[in-house]
Amino acid sequence: MRKLQEIFRTSFPVRVSVWVVLTAAFIFLAAQLYVSYVSRKSVWNEAVQRATQVLENSELRLTRILDDVEQTADNVEWLVYRHLDSPDTLFEYTRNALQGNSDLIGCAIAFEPYYFENQEYFSAYSSNTDGVIETSQEGDEDYQYFYLDWYLMPKLLNQPCWTEPYCDWDYDDDYSLQTDMLISYSKPLTDANGDFIGVVSLDVSPKWLSEQLSSVKPYPHSGCVLISRGGTFLIHPDSEKLFYETIFTRNLKGDDPSLEYVGHDMQDLKEGFQEVRVNGEDTYAFYKPLKDTGWSLALICLEKDIFGAFDRLRIIASLLALLGLLLLFFSNFKVIERTMIPLKELAIEAGNIAEGDFDRPIPQTDREDEIGTLSRSFAHMQSSLVSYIDELKVTTAKKERIEGELRIAHDIQMGMVPNVFPPFPERKELDLHALMAPAREVGGDLYDYLLLGDKLFFCIGDVSGKGIPASMFMATTRSMFRVMGKQGIPPSEIARRLNDTLSENNESMMFVTSFIGVLDLVTGRLEYCNCGHNPPALMSGGSAPVFLDCVPNTPLGVLNGCEYEGQVLDDLRGCMLFLYTDGLNEAENVDHVEFGMDRISSVLSGLSTANALTVVESMQRAVASHVGKAEPSDDLTMLCLRLKAKA
Amino acid sequence: MGFKHLIIVFALAAAIPTGGQTKFVFSPQWMAQAQFAGYYVAKEKGFYDEEGLDVEIRHPFATQTLEDRVRSGGSQAYSMFLSEAMELVDKGVPVVNILQTSMNSSMVIVSRYGADPLGLHNAKVITWRAGFGQVPMCMASREHLDYKWITASSSLNLFVAGAVDATLATSYNEYYQLLQTGLVTPGKGIYRFSEHGYNIQEDGVYMTAAAYKKDRDSAERFVRASRRGWEWAAEHLDETLEIVMKYVKEFRIPTNRILQQLMLEEVLRLQLDPDSGEREFRLRRDMVSQASSLMLEGGILKDEVTVEKLLP
Repeated sequence: MRKLQEIFRTSFPVRVSVWVVLTAAFIFLAAQLYVSYVSRKSVWNEAVQRATQVLENSELRLTRILDDVEQTADNVEWLVYRHLDSPDTLFEYTRNALQGNSDLIGCAIAFEPYYFENQEYFSAYSSNTDGVIETSQEGDEDYQYFYLDWYLMPKLLNQPCWTEPYCDWDYDDDYSLQTDMLISYSKPLTDANGDFIGVVSLDVSPKWLSEQLSSVKPYPHSGCVLISRGGTFLIHPDSEKLFYETIFTRNLKGDDPSLEYVGHDMQDLKEGFQEVRVNGEDTYAFYKPLKDTGWSLALICLEKDIFGAFDRLRIIASLLALLGLLLLFFSNFKVIERTMIPLKELAIEAGNIAEGDFDRPIPQTDREDEIGTLSRSFAHMQSSLVSYIDELKVTTAKKERIEGELRIAHDIQMGMVPNVFPPFPERKELDLHALMAPAREVGGDLYDYLLLGDKLFFCIGDVSGKGIPASMFMATTRSMFRVMGKQGIPPSEIARRLNDTLSENNESMMFVTSFIGVLDLVTGRLEYCNCGHNPPALMSGGSAPVFLDCVPNTPLGVLNGCEYEGQVLDDLRGCMLFLYTDGLNEAENVDHVEFGMDRISSVLSGLSTANALTVVESMQRAVASHVGKAEPSDDLTMLCLRLKAKA
Repeated sequence: MGFKHLIIVFALAAAIPTGGQTKFVFSPQWMAQAQFAGYYVAKEKGFYDEEGLDVEIRHPFATQTLEDRVRSGGSQAYSMFLSEAMELVDKGVPVVNILQTSMNSSMVIVSRYGADPLGLHNAKVITWRAGFGQVPMCMASREHLDYKWITASSSLNLFVAGAVDATLATSYNEYYQLLQTGLVTPGKGIYRFSEHGYNIQEDGVYMTAAAYKKDRDSAERFVRASRRGWEWAAEHLDETLEIVMKYVKEFRIPTNRILQQLMLEEVLRLQLDPDSGEREFRLRRDMVSQASSLMLEGGILKDEVTVEKLLP
């Protein structure tokens, strides 16, 4: 089952075929149900009509026989009344009755005890055994007829009647019982006062009666059943049941009520039909009463006989439909499977291409349908992919080369700024630390410092833009600062000269903001010139940091011939100066919130006595914490210097 | 050959031992059916042979009375109702009970249309020509019922045809036959004597006193084997039914297996003593006394018949 589910899940042809077949089966089933219903109804109507006809014919045949018997009884009765004074003649009349009606097997004219003088028993009786008629006086001590059904029934009912089948007891020569089942039609005889004096009784053989209808078989297994008032089978296809069983016998122990309802309907002389189960087979019983005998005639037909041909046709139709559905399934499956072949091949080739085998040939097809279009599109995609991959390879190689070069440039750039701390170990009064972290491999930030005598020349800058152009501009700026710093000129002059040099042939219109300072390590005097750069923070002793008040000079390289105004702080001893680029205060977190000047102040407030290394590292951690997982948007450079307080 | 001549021949034959075995003719009171299963079993299983008896089971005519049978002779032993035996004794035909099988009354009255039998007036009710009806008739007399008794050889067909209002029936035979005619089991329509203080034993095996005196030994052997037969039948219902059906077919009795099965079960039930629940095979003094009192009251008996008069 699980395997079938797996096949259904993974095979498109199977899935489509199953749905197609199920749809077709549903349509077929609905059609067959409707046709079956209509056809079955038609067959049933025909069966009812046929059964009714058979029952009527059978009834006519039996009625004729019974009418003949009753007519004979009437004739005998007439003779009896005319010759009551000469009882010996009655024997002849019984013989004549049998000769006149060959259906009869016995005729008795019996009288009450002592109706004739000195005669307890008087029963003139003739019997017809295989055409031999014997006449005798049948009453004696061994055969006391006036206690028997055929005599008592008309006497008690005071009207002519048909008896139930009964045994006519006799003993043969070896003293074993011989019984013959009889049915008698008996008429009461009365005297002038209306008092009962005897009966005329005519016997017929139930077996003979049964044989009259044994050939009535409208269907192969059908048969006629005649039951008496007491439900006894007078006619039955199974001779074992004749007279020995009634229609109710099978339910005597309450375990087989199949015929019970039919039996009661027939006893009540109703006409109709019922469906019953007999010997494990579905059967229909059609029944109607027989004249005024109290008997009821039934035609028993097996359902398989009535609906046999129809059911066979239905089974054949179902089998053909099943076969058709199977063919539909396989043809559908094959068509889809065949249609799917290019798709399967494409799937295999796609798998190969996915594993890197881009040169696999794509199966060609001349189909014009969607699968042909898909196949061609796939081939086109493959060729595009191959050329794209080729381009990608070249590009990747180029990129790798560039990245290699950039790594080298990075190393060179990082080597251009001093990165040995402390830079001047011999100058104990100076504590200096700096950090430069480009946002990419190379950046546009710079810092530098050099010691000329007791004067420390230092600068920090930020070139406009990023990447390689900015780094080259930074390298130029840094080199020129170093050259000019060694000339011992004040910061404003350094700025002016740097500006003039940088602005020459500056076709790319790049510029650099910069803070240039010259600190006298002995006197603590600081000269500085701020060229459009962020104002550094100053911390004096344990006081809160303040940002230097800076003249708004033009950034370097913007306009040739600009003048720069320098500024002075008299004594920086005991103070800490913190310089930085906008990569610090403008560092953004994922929510685009900048680090800001306030956070710089806040961090610095807690570091009033810390050394330069601690200040730089603390600030670096603070900004890293703020930025979190956001990409660095700009180069970050910090420089912190602290001059020892005067002794 | 006439019947009476045959009787003489068989009476002579019965007295002559054959092949070392004693001939013994037993005459049940009705045609072959499960009512006599124990005797068929004893014969078929060889219990009689083991007792050295060559038993012949001879069924009667439908219209023959018991008195006819006994007076005509020909059999050593007869099965009959207790009431019949008492009537015979009272009439001066001395018979002795050698085996009592029934311990209960099977008598019922079934009325048409479910009417209460005790509520019927001037009703035509069938009793059997072959006897058996003494106790019910006395009961009717005691209960002041004005039944018009119709004597017939067989009750079934007259009842079904609507010729009578009610019929006597035994709970093991006619009652089931009536059900077989489609009679819906009546509620008030059935009166069971055993449930109304008239529980009087029925079937027993009797011999004339003279025959018993003459061949007491054979009688005792017949009784031993017959008891064995009944006890075996009670233990082997299916096999017993097969034996019964063999006899039924042999005598071409118009019956069927289901009827005989129901009869066998009921007859065996009636053999259980109402007090002990055992198969006791004995005459009960109380039942004999009640039957005698009833029959005296009904005018069937002239003098009281006691257990002592019935026992050998």
